[in-house]
Amino acid sequence: MQDEIPAAASSPGTPPRVYLKGIAKYFPGVIANENVDIEVLPGEIHALLGENGAGKSTLMNILTGIYQPDAGEIIIDGYARQFASPVQAIAAGIGMVHQHFKLVQAFTVAENIHLGWDETPKRTSAAVLEARTAELAKTFNLQVKPGARVSELSTGEQQRVEILRVLSRRAKILILDEPTAVLTPAEARELFRALRDFVSHGNSVIFISHKLDEVLEISDRISILRQGRKIATEKAADCNPRMLAKLMVGRDIVLDDMRERAANAKPMSAEPVLKVSGLSALGDNGLTALHDLNFSLRAGEILGIAGVAGNGQRELSQVLTGVRPASTGDIMIAGKTMAGLKAGEFAAAGIGHIPEDRLHSGLAPAMSITTNAVMREYGKPPVAKGGFFSREAAGKLAREIAGAADVAIPDFAMPIRNLSGGNQQRLVARREMRIAERILVAAYPSRGLDVGAINTMLRYIVELRDAGAGVVLISEELEELLNLSDRIAVLYEGRIMGILDNNNLDIDEIGLMMGGRAHVGAGEAA
Amino acid sequence: MAYRIQRLPSSTPLIAFAARVIAVVLALLVTALILAISGHDPIDLAGQVLSSSLLDSFGLQDLGVIFIPLMLTGLSVAVAQQIGAWNIGAEGQFYAGAFAATAIGLFIPAPDWLSLILMVIGGFAAGAIWILVPTLAKAYADVSELISTLLLNFVAALMVYYVATGPWHDRMTNSSTPKVGAEIPEFWGAIHWGFPIAIVFAIVLALVLSNTKWGYEVRLSGSNPSAAEYAGIPVRRHLIMVMLLSGAIAGFAGMLEVAGTVHRLQGGISNNYGYIGIMVAVLARGSLVGVIFAGAFMAFIQNSGIILQTQGLTTSAVLAMTGLILFLTAIGEELSYYRITRDKV
Repeated sequence: MQDEIPAAASSPGTPPRVYLKGIAKYFPGVIANENVDIEVLPGEIHALLGENGAGKSTLMNILTGIYQPDAGEIIIDGYARQFASPVQAIAAGIGMVHQHFKLVQAFTVAENIHLGWDETPKRTSAAVLEARTAELAKTFNLQVKPGARVSELSTGEQQRVEILRVLSRRAKILILDEPTAVLTPAEARELFRALRDFVSHGNSVIFISHKLDEVLEISDRISILRQGRKIATEKAADCNPRMLAKLMVGRDIVLDDMRERAANAKPMSAEPVLKVSGLSALGDNGLTALHDLNFSLRAGEILGIAGVAGNGQRELSQVLTGVRPASTGDIMIAGKTMAGLKAGEFAAAGIGHIPEDRLHSGLAPAMSITTNAVMREYGKPPVAKGGFFSREAAGKLAREIAGAADVAIPDFAMPIRNLSGGNQQRLVARREMRIAERILVAAYPSRGLDVGAINTMLRYIVELRDAGAGVVLISEELEELLNLSDRIAVLYEGRIMGILDNNNLDIDEIGLMMGGRAHVGAGEAA
Repeated sequence: MAYRIQRLPSSTPLIAFAARVIAVVLALLVTALILAISGHDPIDLAGQVLSSSLLDSFGLQDLGVIFIPLMLTGLSVAVAQQIGAWNIGAEGQFYAGAFAATAIGLFIPAPDWLSLILMVIGGFAAGAIWILVPTLAKAYADVSELISTLLLNFVAALMVYYVATGPWHDRMTNSSTPKVGAEIPEFWGAIHWGFPIAIVFAIVLALVLSNTKWGYEVRLSGSNPSAAEYAGIPVRRHLIMVMLLSGAIAGFAGMLEVAGTVHRLQGGISNNYGYIGIMVAVLARGSLVGVIFAGAFMAFIQNSGIILQTQGLTTSAVLAMTGLILFLTAIGEELSYYRITRDKV
């Protein structure tokens, strides 16, 4: 029954449900999308595959009316359309389920379904809304509890509510942004069943993901985006993971190898300076975000952590610096266990930390540049004299850090949020390098910076390596990792899929691991 | 050319100060307008207020007497702000401090000097105890201190009212306790030694915050707790200490009111000082030294109200004026972030 309309073989002459023709979108200094052509057929599940920043989200924001394209056309069922707002896109039958659900937690399922919907009866009661919801749930074959509060539901159930809300507005095109990222495997299977059921009625699904296996399992056709452009559209039946990985990440890598040591650099140590064994940790949602990690790092070595953002990178950087407690396992620094110790003790042990969201966890935006600059050293002389805080010494230290970071600062008393993101990042990097006698954990150090600032940042890291510190470099830029790292570990859903020596590395191999394929012979390659 | 209104991420201290001054002036002008409409002569009234407060020795003494509790409750609120907490309960802590001081003064037989020392300790401790539960609830269970500190105000007010008219009441007055024996000596006229002590207290605390390691940690924790955690600062411990200190200061203010000014415990002894202290802290923009000036200004407003009452105005008029100042200050605070820029086409 479900295969009545074989997707990719619709009868000739049937217009595609969605035809994006030559779509382009430019942001200042960035090509978000250029010359993208994608056809989504009725009865088809069409996957959009690509790394972070490949342009998937921008493209979908254009289709759903959040952005207007700078060039190109949106053609729905054969008619060119222009969506000035999401409301118009919804009216045209396009619905999107975002990665972060847009539900009112304190409302019931029925209330959420009927919120902001012109078909909601004007005078109504909870019972009526719940009955209508139950009816809708039956129509679309999605099991929900109409009377339950959203805050009491599991993420899988919340997602069903979100989908039901979209479908109840008569969506014929359902866009799902990384829908399985928040689901258990069983919930994911149930979602896939619901999606197949939905397309069997001639509807279409656009499925955004970076997980190779599930893309191959669920979709009829796959379009791959890279750096804002569409690289290829293939039938899923003709694809294999290796080929998809190559298409996804296989760009021309500009090798500007920075692995060469300076003549006076300290050699790599024989003994590891950091040893992580059996390390697990919980995420903010209370679920395990890191599973049984094992790796080691030597002094004078750079270990790159590759992977699509959101696969445990944030938690890893926090656990390695004492900000987040480990649930099991141990972190040894220079042979001493750090179990039960906090961020202050990690810093005192010589670990610097460039955090992922510098403005929220690495800086106090409203406080002065001086206050922020001395955050790591206020407790030791010369800034601290006994219990006193020397404002004079703090000012001197701040000027020293700003000098090393080559940031010109007119007034050290002004709030640090008035500085540009690049200058903030340079100050944080220099501040952390001063205390990183043993290890620097750098999470996305070049994120949000322009090319010049990125270069500066990478030079800092190399400089620190040559001075004999071990560096854990977390990045979503493969080039950056390949240019700097001595070894590369790939993180996927909180697990290390393998650690590879950065030596004639097969980039496709890394792409496969980023998409969830374990490295053959995975394990410690120290 | 087109004009555009733009919101900036921060405002300069000068503009923020100017916004405050404009807000206060506007509030006074509106009050004058309302007085004029209701048949009073605002200029004559203003003259009377000035001549019987700032230009008169007894008037100045009255100001000073109101200044002491207002400045201290303002200090209490401003201290809690340093760690990012809103102490809406200075009123309750003030009552608790007054209660403890009275209990010690009435029931612990001791020479006056010893009794006074015990009352000071009791005032601090009672204020801290009164904020203890909200503090722990915030530190360990993330319960909003706004609500918990506020609700305890009513408990404290009713408790004091009960003991002052019930078990501790004086047979002569019936509405208050008997006179407390130990008194804080006078500093100038009717103003007791609490006056210089309160000012020195604010200055010392300001210096501690800006010049000690502890002060740095507290300011960082208040500004961005997650950055403070990252820097290895025990944020929770500091939160508990600073909130208890905030409560203790308000309790001290209550103790001074009993031992220095009223000399007995009565219902309503706080005169809303705890709530007006919130305004003092807001006007001072969280600066502990600024609290001294904001406290003096609010004391002047309150004292003007008392003078206006003798001229036949109701207390509500004074309360409305105070509210108007707070209201306009809040608007001015927000507006100080905006600039009007001109686009050149």
